[in-house]
This record gives sequence, structure tokens and C-alpha cells, in this order.
Amino acid sequence: MSKKRISNVILQKIRGKEGDILPVLRTIPIFEGLGFNDLKKIELIVHERTFMPDEVVFYERQPGIGMYIIKRGLIKLTKTINEEKAKIAELGEGEFFGEMSLLEDYPRSAQATAVMKTEVLGIFRPDLFDLIERNPKLGSKILMKLSQRLANRLRKTTEMKLKEVVKNGKK
Amino acid sequence: MEKNEFQKLWKTFEIIAIGCVLFGILLVLYLIRELLTPFIIAFVIVFFLNPIVDYMEGEGINRTLAVVMLIILGVFVLLILWKLIWPTLQGEVNNFKDNAPVYIDRIQAGLNRTIDLLEKNISIIPKGTLEKALQQKINGFSSGMGDVGSLIKIVKGLMTALIIIPFVVFFLLKDGRKIKKMLIAYVPNKYFETFLVLFHKIDQQISNYIRGQLIDSFIVGLLAIIGLYLSGVKYSFFMGAVLGIVNIIPFIGPLTGLVFGILLILIDTGSTVHLIKFIGVYFCIRMLDDIIVSPLALSRSVHVHTLMVIIVIMLGGFLHGILGMLLAVPLYCSIKVTFQTLYKGLIEYGNW
Repeated sequence: MSKKRISNVILQKIRGKEGDILPVLRTIPIFEGLGFNDLKKIELIVHERTFMPDEVVFYERQPGIGMYIIKRGLIKLTKTINEEKAKIAELGEGEFFGEMSLLEDYPRSAQATAVMKTEVLGIFRPDLFDLIERNPKLGSKILMKLSQRLANRLRKTTEMKLKEVVKNGKK
Repeated sequence: MEKNEFQKLWKTFEIIAIGCVLFGILLVLYLIRELLTPFIIAFVIVFFLNPIVDYMEGEGINRTLAVVMLIILGVFVLLILWKLIWPTLQGEVNNFKDNAPVYIDRIQAGLNRTIDLLEKNISIIPKGTLEKALQQKINGFSSGMGDVGSLIKIVKGLMTALIIIPFVVFFLLKDGRKIKKMLIAYVPNKYFETFLVLFHKIDQQISNYIRGQLIDSFIVGLLAIIGLYLSGVKYSFFMGAVLGIVNIIPFIGPLTGLVFGILLILIDTGSTVHLIKFIGVYFCIRMLDDIIVSPLALSRSVHVHTLMVIIVIMLGGFLHGILGMLLAVPLYCSIKVTFQTLYKGLIEYGNW
């Protein structure tokens, strides 16, 4: 056995088993670039929930307190338009939703419903804020990533609006 | 029956059922309250130490190691305090104990004079009734002081507490978050977010309050000891410690401390100079506490109306003595926040 392999085995023994939550967290852009120890700290605030087919994860306009990452299964996002529910997206394994609720308790913009038996990982604002207080370095990394996503979204919306204005102007 | 009406009825049933479960839990806790004392003390210590462990963990120290280090440090600090303060405090306590019979006689003489005066002036009180009742009380008090049975009971309780408390403190500090997560995992999906917020709010209310009160009382006790010692008041350490301890109970505590101090001076020496010094130090400390210490220590604490605080403290005292008084305000706030959160999450937003 090579020296590197031996040291890896020892390191793994010290760190403990990785489990099945860490690999999912690694794929989420908000936690991009975080090391094993940081991810372990996040794992402590992750809540595993299982939803049955047609079970509602959250309702539209309900105050949101956190984000969900799909570990296994399928989630349908619907929005009420003219008193009718319209499907706006369907999310699968590794995808996530509701991340903006980590920053403020603005009402949810859509309803999330499980299409099949779905396992999700929930991360919620009270736990995240506690983590930030306990661990400001890690907290600033997460908040930075969240802000970047928010900025991206804002840029896209502005671009779309500008295009609309230009289009209307030409008309 | 229409579907909507059935749903409404079902919701009402659910609210009543949850209310019954909560009431049942509270009732069971009340019935086993005697067993709960060491656990309540452990919880109080955990609420106080948790931020320190969190800070150490944030600095990169393994949580278990941080807890062990903190417990060792705590024992070390207590031992040092014991060595430094205990000899003086013990001397004062022994002195107080030696003089206790004299104090009791003086109190009895004073009360007898008052009773005579009352019986002479109020004709409906039969002669000798009050004196007999007083004598019974005093006899009971004196025999209680030397009761071997009760002493054994206290020592036994103390030994159990000394074993249970560190054990519970260690595991709650180390695995508190995991336990909380495990408990909340049992909440159905439908109510999960609401209950998570509720858990968090209750945790914050209780921990901020207890932490604030303990820090405030420690500083008040220390200031009282220094102030009384420097002004040359007898029993300065004993009275300072009492002032600090009773300060944990809002409003009623400081008043009790004042009355206790005045009575002690009056029955001990009756010296007007000592009395003025004590009252002077007391009011200086109260001013310092109200202007500087309290706002700093309790800045993140709860905001409840003074009258409500007094009512819930008296109720807490009636239900579970001094510990009941200490926990009355945070428990009241927890119940209040529970109703507010459940109302907001489950009824107002139709999440029910």
C-alpha cells in the first residue's frame, strides 16, 4: 500500500464516514468550494425529510424559512395563475429550490409538491443563522455564494426587462 | 356535510388534540417535578455554557474536547472561588448560625410585643391565639434546623445531583444539536417548518433570559460583596452572596434581598450607621444594575410587562419553589411565543 493511500485511510478513519448527505451538498452551488470540515458543519444543520406522492412540501404565499435539495425523487413547482394551477417546473435529483428563503421570510412564490416518493434535504434560516453566528468564516462564504446567485438573478431580470423595453420602443 | 365544513371541523379537532397533548406533557412534568430539579439545574448550566462551546467550536476546536476543557476549567474556577471566598463566607455563616438563637429570641420578643398590642386593641382576637400560633411556628422552625432526617435527605439529594448534573451537562453540551434534530425529525412534514421556527424561538427566549439573569446576578453579587466589605458592614460576604443569588428572580428578588439585609442588621446590632451604609450600597448597586449591567446583560432578553412578570414569578414559586421562580418568565415567554407562532404558521397562513 502506498504512503498516500495509507495516509488517506488514516485521515478517513479520523474524519469518520462521509455518509450520503455530503456528496449531495457538494453538488450545490451555494456550498461550492467548501472543504470537508465545513461541509460536515453544514451536514449538522441539514434535516432529512421524505414526502409521499402528491404531498405538499410548501404552499404558495406561505412564508418560507429555507431551501430544499432533492436527494431522491421528483418535485413539481406550480403557480396559481387566474385561479388555476400552472406547472412551472419539475425538479429532479441534485436540484434545489427555495434558496432565497434562506435570506428572508418572503412568501413562497410557488407551491412545491412531490410527484413520487421523494427524499429531500432541508436547510433552514434559523439553523443557518446560528451556524453563521458560531462560524462567521463559513457563514460569510455561504452568504457570498447566496449573494452571487441573487446578483445573477437580478442581472438576468434586468436584461429581460431591458429587452422588453427595447422591443416595445421599436414597436 | 360539505367538504369545507368537514375540513374546518377536522382542523378544530386537530388544534384541540395538540392542546391536549401539550397540556398532558405539562401535567406529567408537574407531577414528576421533584425528580426534575437536577435536570433543570443541568439545563440552566447548559444554556449558560453553550455559547462558549459554540465559540470554541467556531475557533476550530473539536466540540467534545471543548466541552471537556470547559468542564475542567469550570471545576478549577469553582475550586479557586471555594478556596478564596469560602473561608470568609464560612466564618460569616458560622457566626450567623451561632447567633441564630439570639436572633430568634429577639424576633420573638418583637413579635410578642406586636401581638400584645394587636390583642389589646382588636377585641375579636381571643387572647393567646396569636401567641400560641407563633410559638408553634418557631418550635417547628427550630426543630427543622437540627432535623437529622431532613439533613440526610438534603445530602442524598445533593449527591444524586452531583452525579446527574455533570453527566447531563456533558451530553447536552456535546450532543444538544443532534438531540434537537432528532426530536424535530418526528414532526410531520405538514407542520415541520412551523415547529422548527418554534423550537428555535423557544430556545432563544430561554437561553437569552437565563444567560442574562446569571451574568447580571453574578455581577450584582460581586459588586454587593465589594461594596459592603469596603463600607465595613458586618456579614458583607454572606449578604453580598444573598443579594446576588436573589437577584436571579426579577423584581421580587432584589426586594427580598433588601428586606433580608435590613432585618439582619436590625436583629444583629440594630446599628443605624450599618443600616444606612447597607441601604446606601444597595441603592448604588441597584442604580448601577439598572443603568449599566442589566441593559448589557439582558439586551437580548425577553420583553414582558412588569405586572405579568410578578404574576408569573409568584405562580412559578407556588409550583416549584425557587427554580420555578427562575424559570417562570422564560416559560411564560415560551408559551406566548408558541401561541403566536402556531397562530401565524398554522392558522393565519392557512398552513394547517
